[in-house]
Amino acid sequence: MFSPLFAASEPDLLTPLAGLLWLIPTLPLLAAVLLALLGSVVRQWSHWLSVAAIGAAFVVSVLVFVPLYGAIHTLHEDGNHVPPLVVQSYYPWIQVEPGKAGLGLGAGVDIGLALRVDALTAMMLLMINFIAALIALYSAGYMHGDPGYARFFAAVSGFVAAMNLLVMADNFVVLYAGWEGVGLCSYLLIGFWYSKPTAADAARKAFLVTRLGDVGLFLGILMLWYGTGSLTYDVVFAKLQEGGLSEPFLLTAALLVFAGAAGKSAQFPLHVWLPDAMEGPTPVSALIHAATMVTAGVYLVARCTPLFMLVPAAQLTVAVLGGFTAILAALIALTQSDLKRVLAYSTLSQLGYMFLGLGCATMAGGPELVKLAVVAAVFHLFTHAFFKALLFLAAGSVMHGMGHVIDMQRFSGLRQVMPLTHATFLVGALTLAGFPLLSGFWSKDEILAAVQQASETGSYGASTYFLLLVLAIVTAFLTAFYTFRAYFLTFWGPLRVPAEADHAHGEQGHGDHGHGHGHEKKHIERDSAHPKASYESPAVMTVPLVVLAVFALGVGALLAGPHTLKAVKGLSFAHFVEATPGLPTDAAPHQYNLNLMLLSSGVALLGIALAYLLYVVQPSLPGQLARSLGVLYQLSRDKFYLDELYHIVFVLPLQGLAQLLATLDRHGVDATLRAAATAPHWLGQVFRPMQNGLVQFYALAMVLGLTVFLLALVRSL
Amino acid sequence: MNAVSVENYLVVGAVLFTLGLIGFIVRRNLIILFLCAEMMLQGVALNFVAFARYHGNLQGQAMVLFLIAIAACEAAIALALILMLYRRKKSLDVSVWQQMHESGWQPSEEEEPLPPPPPPEPLPHLPPAGIEPPRKEEPTHV
Repeated sequence: MFSPLFAASEPDLLTPLAGLLWLIPTLPLLAAVLLALLGSVVRQWSHWLSVAAIGAAFVVSVLVFVPLYGAIHTLHEDGNHVPPLVVQSYYPWIQVEPGKAGLGLGAGVDIGLALRVDALTAMMLLMINFIAALIALYSAGYMHGDPGYARFFAAVSGFVAAMNLLVMADNFVVLYAGWEGVGLCSYLLIGFWYSKPTAADAARKAFLVTRLGDVGLFLGILMLWYGTGSLTYDVVFAKLQEGGLSEPFLLTAALLVFAGAAGKSAQFPLHVWLPDAMEGPTPVSALIHAATMVTAGVYLVARCTPLFMLVPAAQLTVAVLGGFTAILAALIALTQSDLKRVLAYSTLSQLGYMFLGLGCATMAGGPELVKLAVVAAVFHLFTHAFFKALLFLAAGSVMHGMGHVIDMQRFSGLRQVMPLTHATFLVGALTLAGFPLLSGFWSKDEILAAVQQASETGSYGASTYFLLLVLAIVTAFLTAFYTFRAYFLTFWGPLRVPAEADHAHGEQGHGDHGHGHGHEKKHIERDSAHPKASYESPAVMTVPLVVLAVFALGVGALLAGPHTLKAVKGLSFAHFVEATPGLPTDAAPHQYNLNLMLLSSGVALLGIALAYLLYVVQPSLPGQLARSLGVLYQLSRDKFYLDELYHIVFVLPLQGLAQLLATLDRHGVDATLRAAATAPHWLGQVFRPMQNGLVQFYALAMVLGLTVFLLALVRSL
Repeated sequence: MNAVSVENYLVVGAVLFTLGLIGFIVRRNLIILFLCAEMMLQGVALNFVAFARYHGNLQGQAMVLFLIAIAACEAAIALALILMLYRRKKSLDVSVWQQMHESGWQPSEEEEPLPPPPPPEPLPHLPPAGIEPPRKEEPTHV
């Protein structure tokens, strides 16, 4: 049972790995269970358990990564293209012999609880556990004093466990289990402050909307099983390569899988839940709704590349929806005044970018394009996780300092009082905007290059891909603009601090680290001797910020750096991820497209410059622009009325139906039942007087009854 | 001397039983009720003895011996119960125990209530301690 399967030619190097795999999801799960059971005992020490478990999972991930890296490195040097893969099977979960599945289906079912690690999974594991550990540490400061402290860390640990399970799954059912696990933890954490109606509504909305996609994913998994007779990745993909399945069948399966991905990764038209999910605590927004969970959809589509690359129509749909979401979200982000919402729409936009990249992986452009597109999307996923987590945590630091005010109209000029937060936010903003040579620049440029290549294939949908390229460049410009709009509004201009911030500080000064949710404390005058009292967050929050900032600056170099620099002799990110089983094995190395690089850095700089002009040099200009653009401004500010549209199209008819059914139930079914229940009641009324409590009446009744009985008996004899 | 036929015994037994039954239904005194029940029992016992003699075996007689033993036990328990009931309500009237009726049922009115129990004896009135009670002048006969 414990026999790891090796596709790699060097089993010696990888053997020690297999024994460790189970630790990665189990350690955080253990922490979650312990915290859930002992939450009231450990209380303010909860974070240690969580941080330790996630940190240990990260260490194990590194231990798993190192030999895998070595194996891929060796393979790469030798020119051998069999990608390494470690599968450890633990338990045969569901087994049905062929022909016994019922419903006349011939295929059998063999689902094992198995974990696997290949290049893609190893990359995801490193990223997830590293960021999760930092965010758990940060939360220790951010959530300090919250009544649900232990509950928070239990849910975060549970989330990390489910996410690790999701990326380590070896078959679609285990993936689906992790998929639902992260959905559940996301629900719990969005509704963390469940007494706030908006938070509870947002949690429900997130759960229901993603559920819509999950149904699609489940049907897609069933179709793949029906078509290939298996649920294990490698078997399914090998069968797909063999061919024999009709194009419409594959298209339907691919679109259903993509529906799941679109729900989880908040792509149009299922994107409405993500901005509302910002009701949760900010570390949750950083971890789940920016860095990890929302990228699960991207991971899924990347994992299913062997399926998607066979169906150009599905890829075109993925690319179009991704590109459309990218520009739609960027347009909405232009006018939001809530800092976290700007970041949320930016996440939507960047996820759209990733799907746009994935959508370019068609066989029409040859195996080279498939590799380029998948690597580009996954690399953007990787860099985005760092800089978006950084931006959210910096925004959380602003919120922490400003007494939970996040409206950018109420504070400005914070660079004087929050120097560290300012510096790290600036790093995140530059990276997101695609400032040349920072990580966002490299990954965004990869995606643009992939789209550009897809538009040059001259085959199916090439002109659409060209249109998407133009849209993507416009989005890059908008991204730079709205990111720096938020940055300048928050950190530049005259120093303005909302009154709530002083409340929070007054409390902290007196040793009470409560956040003041709904606390009505008297305004405490600031000490006049320190007119610029620092609002900076404690070290437990700023240290993760600095670490993430360093990584956000640096990870871009991983794309090609280690390979290009002869001195290092390392594997580049692209070469590492390319060694994922299922991707085409024969492909020439990719060349950089200098023109596209110049163009994208040009629009990024233009966006930053325009934001500087509008929000620092001429602060009165945005208002005039908004007035002159009237309708367009309103459309953007009110999110193109999509929420309202969904309310009218889906919510209202369903509410009407529910009302109708409730009426039918109350006045039809219930009334009939109640009528039936009155009959015994009336019968009881007749016999009630007999039970009058008089002993002699009972005796008389007995005598009479006996007499009647005896008479009948005698007569019958 | 004519042998008394079995019918005579049966008639006496039936009369005893019926008297007991009627008494049980119409009387209200708990002790009388108990006595009436005993009377029905004896009517049945008489039947047993009569049939034993009629058939010429001892089965009925053996049964009657058991019956008497059981009646003795019954008497002990029933009288004890009656005593407890009396202590609760200071009355032997069976109609004061009507709690086992359906909710909402009005207890039946007593047309002939039993005489109320006599008021308790007044406690003796004692003068304050330490004072010699007044005494009647008694003529002294020297």
